[in-house]
Amino acid sequence: MRFAKLLLARRQLLARWQLAAGLALGSLLAAGTSCEADHDRLVAVPGSHQPANFPAMVYGLDKNAPDAATFELGRRLFYDARLSSDGTVSCGSCHQASVAFAHAGQRLSPGVSGQLGRRNAPALQNLRWHQGFMADGGVLGLELQALAPLTDRAEMNTSLADALAKLNADVAYRQRFAAIYGPGTIDTPQFLRALAQFTAALTSANSRYDHYVRYEAGGTLTSQELGGRALFQAKCASCHATELFTDESFRNNGLDRTFPRDSGRAHITARPTDAGRFKVPSLRNVARTAPYMHDGRFGTLAQVLAHYDHGVVPSRTLDPLLRQPNGQLGIPLAAREQADLLAFLNTLTDNDFLTDHRLLAPQP
Amino acid sequence: MKNRPFSPFLLFLFATASLLSSCKKDGDSQAVVSPAQPTVGTVSFEMDNRVGAKALALDGTAYPTAHGETFTVTTLEYYVSNIKFSKADGTSYAAPGEYHLINAAKPATSSFAVSNVPIGDYTGVSFVVGVDSTTTKSDPLALTGDLNPANAMYWAWATGHIFMKLEGTVTSTSPTKPLTCHIGGYRAPYNAIVTASPSLNGSTLLVRADHSPKLYFSADVLKMFDGVTYFALSAFPPTMAPSASSVQVAQNYAAGMFNVERIQAN
Repeated sequence: MRFAKLLLARRQLLARWQLAAGLALGSLLAAGTSCEADHDRLVAVPGSHQPANFPAMVYGLDKNAPDAATFELGRRLFYDARLSSDGTVSCGSCHQASVAFAHAGQRLSPGVSGQLGRRNAPALQNLRWHQGFMADGGVLGLELQALAPLTDRAEMNTSLADALAKLNADVAYRQRFAAIYGPGTIDTPQFLRALAQFTAALTSANSRYDHYVRYEAGGTLTSQELGGRALFQAKCASCHATELFTDESFRNNGLDRTFPRDSGRAHITARPTDAGRFKVPSLRNVARTAPYMHDGRFGTLAQVLAHYDHGVVPSRTLDPLLRQPNGQLGIPLAAREQADLLAFLNTLTDNDFLTDHRLLAPQP
Repeated sequence: MKNRPFSPFLLFLFATASLLSSCKKDGDSQAVVSPAQPTVGTVSFEMDNRVGAKALALDGTAYPTAHGETFTVTTLEYYVSNIKFSKADGTSYAAPGEYHLINAAKPATSSFAVSNVPIGDYTGVSFVVGVDSTTTKSDPLALTGDLNPANAMYWAWATGHIFMKLEGTVTSTSPTKPLTCHIGGYRAPYNAIVTASPSLNGSTLLVRADHSPKLYFSADVLKMFDGVTYFALSAFPPTMAPSASSVQVAQNYAAGMFNVERIQAN
């Protein structure tokens, strides 16, 4: 009885709180209609949700709250070649939506004046979930990442100061930035955060595989694909781990014996033990992101699997997982296993993402 | 019976209310405290960039080294940060948020003031020549003013500032040779974050409410290459990334580049 009484008292108290909270909410709503509009715009930004099967975001939605106007501005910046030194190269030149923002068929990509870059243009997807950027992990944040290709002499070859000067000299950009950040000069944080709204929106989480693991409609895998998945988990998932299909570690996968042209992670850490180690790439949309490896040396996934089966060469920093107990290098994969793996890798293709018109170049 | 501390409705209300209120700009104004007695003062810094005994000019003037080489300077820029004042009793005051980019091409950048220094008698001063790793890795929103990556003192590919940049030409070689010395990096083993602690030469820095002393430093470019480690300029490798030699240059300039020439009591 006493317990019931207490409970009743508690309910009455709660009812009072609810009333008070309701009143407070009412006044907030009255004062906060613009906030409601903000919330609607947030929903309109692609990729601004947490897929149920993904780990927690690194670049959370609170960091640079997705908003339609800023996303559109970032999209405009991403596709604007005027930001390069000679006006010929934009981010979108080497990162194309239809191939998960990799560069279709390009081993290395030409920057300004046609100079080739040092590495294969990576796919850009699910960047909100990544700790580090670039094949050597030198760049530590999504917002800062854009500076690397912008300023690289073989890519866009523009100083940040020059890029800002170009934006500030453009009336349309001034208006767009002012509408979001208020009047004044367009500065580094505004520029980088606007661009990051676009790159953070490149979420790929709607492949057939995703539907399968989330028990959603359309999520059926064939017996061959399921066999490939089991093989993948046994032979590949220690590096291509989690739903991002990378553990973000740096590993030497036995492409070369020496690394005179590109030392990979050692370029950043200067440690000899890091020579030849590169970031494990995600395999999402991998059937569409050819060519493969940091230097784009393999044109097909079949070549990649053949490399792991019999192409791995030794070096001092070769990843231990590629040394079998019997001394053999690589990951033995019978022809049938390779076929099954390829079938599984094809289920990682996310056509919703690859054909999302909101991620294409905006109308001028 | 199960106790439910909050009803779903209440949770919804709070969640919505906090969502809405988070949209609002934080307009809280802090209470203004005006102490009866001022407890802090200001210390000014002036950096006099030199090459040995001569004032540094970026006009093509060729300067001799002690080892018979000559060179010109076109660019000299460096960060001074994390300024610390210490007392004879071993206590010290670390001035927060001080990041100053000195650019020899912009004379106004050679002097700056550190305010809110607790009044007292200071017998030592030190500063980082460069930027601490926490700050250099931080969100671009924090990288404004002198820390702005747009200042071209930043390695985008490695996420971090260039702490010291010297560019010029070695003119004693034939043909002449570019001199490129960009020092940065905060990762072991090539961590180039160094602290300079130039002696006050027995003087005491008196910081009072009505006493704003000024420290005049010389910054001698020659000491970058000649100190703990000697580098012949003709053999100095073009340096634009962390390396063993860049750490040695940093140790050189930490040890000998900066000297207190005089203290103006004001």
